[in-house]
Amino acid sequence: MKNINLIISTLCLLVLGACTIDEQFDPNAPSVSAILSEAEPNELDLLVYGAEARMRTAWDTYITSTGTIARELYIFNADPRNTEDLLGKEGRSLDNNTFYLTAPWGTRYQVVKNVNLLLEALPNSQGASEAELAGYRGYARTVKALMFLQELMRLNDNGIRVDVANPENLGPFVSKAEAFNEIFTLLDEAYEDLQNGEFHFQLTDGYGGGFETPEGYAEFNRAIAARAATYAEQYGAALSYLEDSFLDLDGDITVGPEMIFSTASGDVLNPVFKIPEQSGDQIIVHNSYIEDIREGDTRLSKFRPRVDATSQDGLNGTHETALYGSALDPIDIIRNEELILIYAEASIQEGNLDDAVTALNVIRNAHGLGDYDGDVNRDALIEEMLYNRRYSFWAEGHRMFDLRRYGLLNADNLPIDRPGDQVFQQFPIPLNENQ
Amino acid sequence: MNYATKFSMLLALLFTTATAMAQFNVTGNVTDGSGEPLIGVSIIVKGSTTGTVTDFNGDFNLNVKGERAVLLFSYTGFASQEIEATPDNNRLNVTLEEDIADLEEVVVTGLASGVKRSNLANNVSTISSQELTEVTTQQTIDGALYGKMTGVNIISSSGAPGGGIAMRLRGISSLTGNNQPLFIIDGVYISNAEIPSGLRFASGANSGSEENASNRLADLNPEDIESIEVLKGASAAAIYGTRANAGVVIITTKQGQAGRTKVRFEQDFGVNTIQRFVGRRQYTAAEVEEAFGPDERARFERAVADGEVFDYEQEIYGNDGFITDSRMSISGGNEKTTFYFNTSYRDEEGIIENTGFERFSMRLNVDHRISDKIKMGVNANYINSFASRSFTGNENEGGLSYGYNLAFTRDWVNLFPDALGNYPTNPNAAGNPIFVRDNTWNEERNNRFISGANMEVNLYQTDRTIFKLTGNVGVDFLMNETSVYVPETHQAQAGGNNGFIGEGRNGLLNYNYQAFAVLDHYTESNINFNTQIGMTYLNFDRDLVLNRATQLIPGQTNLQNSGAQQISQARATEEDFGIVAQEQVNWDDKIIGTVGIRFDKSSLNGDPNQFFAFPRASLAVNVANFDFWSINSMNQFKLRVAYGETGSSASFGSLFTTLASTNIGGQVGIRAGGSLGNPNLEPETSQELEFGADFGILNNKLNLGVTYYIRDVENLLYDFDIPSSTGWADESRSDFDLRNQGLEVQLGFTPVNREKFQWNSTVNYWYNRSEVTRLGVPPFVPTGVAFGLGLGTFFVEEGEPITQLKGNGAEGPVTIGDVEPDFQLGWFNQIKIGNNIDFTFLTHWKEGGDVLNLSRLLTNLGGTTPEEYDDLVGFVEDASYFRLREVGLYYTLPKFSNTISRLRVGVSGRNLLTLTDYSSYDPEVSTKGTTGLSTGIEVTPFPSTRQAYFHVTAEF
Repeated sequence: MKNINLIISTLCLLVLGACTIDEQFDPNAPSVSAILSEAEPNELDLLVYGAEARMRTAWDTYITSTGTIARELYIFNADPRNTEDLLGKEGRSLDNNTFYLTAPWGTRYQVVKNVNLLLEALPNSQGASEAELAGYRGYARTVKALMFLQELMRLNDNGIRVDVANPENLGPFVSKAEAFNEIFTLLDEAYEDLQNGEFHFQLTDGYGGGFETPEGYAEFNRAIAARAATYAEQYGAALSYLEDSFLDLDGDITVGPEMIFSTASGDVLNPVFKIPEQSGDQIIVHNSYIEDIREGDTRLSKFRPRVDATSQDGLNGTHETALYGSALDPIDIIRNEELILIYAEASIQEGNLDDAVTALNVIRNAHGLGDYDGDVNRDALIEEMLYNRRYSFWAEGHRMFDLRRYGLLNADNLPIDRPGDQVFQQFPIPLNENQ
Repeated sequence: MNYATKFSMLLALLFTTATAMAQFNVTGNVTDGSGEPLIGVSIIVKGSTTGTVTDFNGDFNLNVKGERAVLLFSYTGFASQEIEATPDNNRLNVTLEEDIADLEEVVVTGLASGVKRSNLANNVSTISSQELTEVTTQQTIDGALYGKMTGVNIISSSGAPGGGIAMRLRGISSLTGNNQPLFIIDGVYISNAEIPSGLRFASGANSGSEENASNRLADLNPEDIESIEVLKGASAAAIYGTRANAGVVIITTKQGQAGRTKVRFEQDFGVNTIQRFVGRRQYTAAEVEEAFGPDERARFERAVADGEVFDYEQEIYGNDGFITDSRMSISGGNEKTTFYFNTSYRDEEGIIENTGFERFSMRLNVDHRISDKIKMGVNANYINSFASRSFTGNENEGGLSYGYNLAFTRDWVNLFPDALGNYPTNPNAAGNPIFVRDNTWNEERNNRFISGANMEVNLYQTDRTIFKLTGNVGVDFLMNETSVYVPETHQAQAGGNNGFIGEGRNGLLNYNYQAFAVLDHYTESNINFNTQIGMTYLNFDRDLVLNRATQLIPGQTNLQNSGAQQISQARATEEDFGIVAQEQVNWDDKIIGTVGIRFDKSSLNGDPNQFFAFPRASLAVNVANFDFWSINSMNQFKLRVAYGETGSSASFGSLFTTLASTNIGGQVGIRAGGSLGNPNLEPETSQELEFGADFGILNNKLNLGVTYYIRDVENLLYDFDIPSSTGWADESRSDFDLRNQGLEVQLGFTPVNREKFQWNSTVNYWYNRSEVTRLGVPPFVPTGVAFGLGLGTFFVEEGEPITQLKGNGAEGPVTIGDVEPDFQLGWFNQIKIGNNIDFTFLTHWKEGGDVLNLSRLLTNLGGTTPEEYDDLVGFVEDASYFRLREVGLYYTLPKFSNTISRLRVGVSGRNLLTLTDYSSYDPEVSTKGTTGLSTGIEVTPFPSTRQAYFHVTAEF
């Protein structure tokens, strides 16, 4: 009996005394809490680089989803929803829980989270000068505004959320007008900060040519503001934003910040690049682009004729994308060409038709077309401006919004490839936003 | 220390003083019905610890105290007998009769004890080695169980040789955590991980689960197994605590028997063929023009003229895969030491060229009695397995998955290499399947060592009391290497990534130990108290490293010969610690009651040192064992009820909110976007009430077990998509309860029992129904279970089954199906004709249960769906089937040589016949691997196979 008692007692002691399990930490990745407390500039920079990297993700979906709706292109791959949902085949509507909506939406807001974390980390950070703090703020708010703008344009009248700092207590979906106000506020605050700011971080080579400094970045900020103002149809504001941007009517139209790609470990390749002649995953040019392009327009080089025409799901195409020459080609975020066309558009809308013609000629000449010799009136110039935007920004995520802005995003103005196909105006609010 | 105090009080109460008595000697012999001696029959003086076993000749010799004693003879597979012995009647010759209900079998129910089946309060399914491997050769252990036991649902995610099997016990128990049961082999908690090879980075599949990797149970050689017990729910598995929510599968391997050394050699030859071809759409020129335009018609007509119209389904899936399986076992030993040795090699070729599975396995089990009081055993198993699985299932523009690309491939396009060896580009799909078959690989190799050791020390023994200490340790070390290669000449690679190499190096180490004190006491009034207390510790460690390379130097398959490289690593360590106490009271096999409790803590919980309690209680009443029972023809009538709780902790990583790394132009960064961790997580718990009755009639010639269970999973952990505008993907929540209930009926009977013709039959019938009983959030689509409401998906909704499928309707989601079968019925038959012929077959009928067939969505899109399926509306199909799952016919040659003691030849088959309306390859399918809710969604799987074998077995 005593023995048994002793043995059991010993066992119990062993059991209870043994084995304290250590507190757990994540062995695989850095934690949010570390960034939010006493981060040094080197750590803050990581959030900048993360934002730059992430804004490229799902950009292909962004341009193919809006581009399909605007009848710029088809994406012929194995996902039927690209040719069914987006074209409204047989009564289908845009789904609120499918990749063409959620992938760009989610990644845009992940970038927003990155810069919100940066903004949240700044007050508790250590070792950054006031100027550097201003530089971080200027960067963060510019990027945030750009991300908001991208998704606002897709969701349009559905609005977007702009107050998303606290995951436990998200702000409401705000109207399109309120969202634009927030975007302009962010851009203006950022512009202020950039005036006296310094960048501790080194922006990528995509910002080469001057955009990597606070001064250059401020010009980029104004360019984004001009784009936003155009989308908001606030053309007077667009013209004034352009003044401090890198608009240069006499300069290289290709100048502007870019998203870059590399084969470095963890980096990605240009997702919009498609292997020539590859089937099964190809951006096919909508045949109307081939039919409508003017004689001599060098922008035809964006489209490569296929050896064999291709068809899928009742849709046909003779050309595929040649927009990017290789998987390492950068993608423009915004370039002088767009600023010139914004200048043209805003000038038309503000009644400065001669300025508009000047600007349109810059673009026409750059693409092998002579000077504009059509009627100089508002409607004719709008048509000319839209033609140029159509071919200058093919598959760059503008066409759907251009058409909508001018009331042309409908079956009267767009080719309907299959009987019953529909033209959608905007994307729904994602299901998981619980609206 | 409280428990110890109570415990010693209990002991004090129970202890009775033994008085000195007279004693006498009993001898005798035990044989079976045919007069063959039975070795190892247990003989116990009823109501005491005194006992012995029969020797090689079936003889025994036992000293018995007192003037008379009732001896209880019991042996697995035979009905037990009680015989009274007195000094005058002390020579006993006993014949035991076979019992098809196997009531004497000891079922392991605790961590350190077992219960006779006749006394069990739970419906624990057991499979013997006979049922497991003697009908036909099994590829994997989990695949071998289907249809043979109630409450078990098995879905294969791939027909590729080498497994890929999801096992569900009594329905779904978790949304994100593990739905696969815990596998314990000889006390070792083994890994059943499904380790992806990273091929998704080449194929564009959405997640590792879509890679359809094999699950590592495939490494075990089914031939080594003596028995498998399946604790299906919390009421039986409670004592396994926090890892037992999805049930526990306890595997016991073979042990040697004292006596002549037996050598057994087995050789199988077999062939793998596809179960059925779905077929390809047959076109006329006019139809081609209508579907694809005039240019395509011209191409079609040219191909017809050149005789170049192919059947690519036949081309890819039409391989006859040769199978060889060789096994040798040697077993034997003496009174002190016994051993079992087995070595085996299986080489199986798949129905797609260049796919296959090889497994080399070696096992040594040794048991040794150090003294009367101490015995120990060591099991060691080394496995080297290799699988070549190629590319199947879902993808996105990778041009690799056969079925996916075949859906878009037109049969009039020549994809075969030209005279120079150049493969044409497939103009209609992202890849050329002929190229993929001939030039790519997706392989895995495993080196694995599983070993366990156990020891039992008999510390104290009197007539009526035994006090034992038991302990065991186990280790499972797995080195898994994966290799994926896609050459730069593949059409989806050339000009982009320019080739892909994925080399995974994955180390998994599981180790566990446990120690128990067990006290067995028999009172004079025939009550047996079995008390056990102990502790267990588990440590699971994983380090998964994947190296990827692109921009390959042409022809090179070395990671280094590439222009771009990426590395990813996932590490995880899990630790569990538990304390267990259990008390079982058995009154003369009439009433058997058990109470137990387990306290567990785990590193996976928010507070790693907080204990969670998992209690159990059960009661079995053997009504037929009471004296008042007067229906002699009914030898068993048992009523039973059992209750238990188990848990399941969140998966590793759920506690943390982390930032992912990024790179842009060589500059590293960090980003948001992952899961929002919850540092306060507690385990989800399952509470199960199970009740039933067992009947045995005419010495179990007819036996029936009926069980009903109600299992409530409370505070189910799930990842809930939070608004993406937060910048995070999801968070862990637990406001979710789920109820599973179901019926399990097992009927065993002997339709014919003549000397020259014996037919034993078992029918298993079961169904499960689930219902979401509480959901704190609006109905939602769980992460990663399917492809969105647009195509149809699982949809979690209060009041509805967890297995329902919904799709978009005009006004929100509408129900389109339910993957839960209405019922399943397995029918197992053993027929013995004369002394030489054994005929065994197993049929399996699954009624109801839908499958979302997205393969057909793809073939519709590509215009390759056979005409006969044109009238199918939607993609949800009834997946009912009736299948001849296993059939075997064996002939044992009359003894012709003294060297060969037994020579047996036979033929057998698996899945030889399937009757179903399902339009694709196999109604048992899962494109999302083996975890979570993932069954019943099909996207171009590796087609299921049927196998036919020829067997030779020789024993020496």
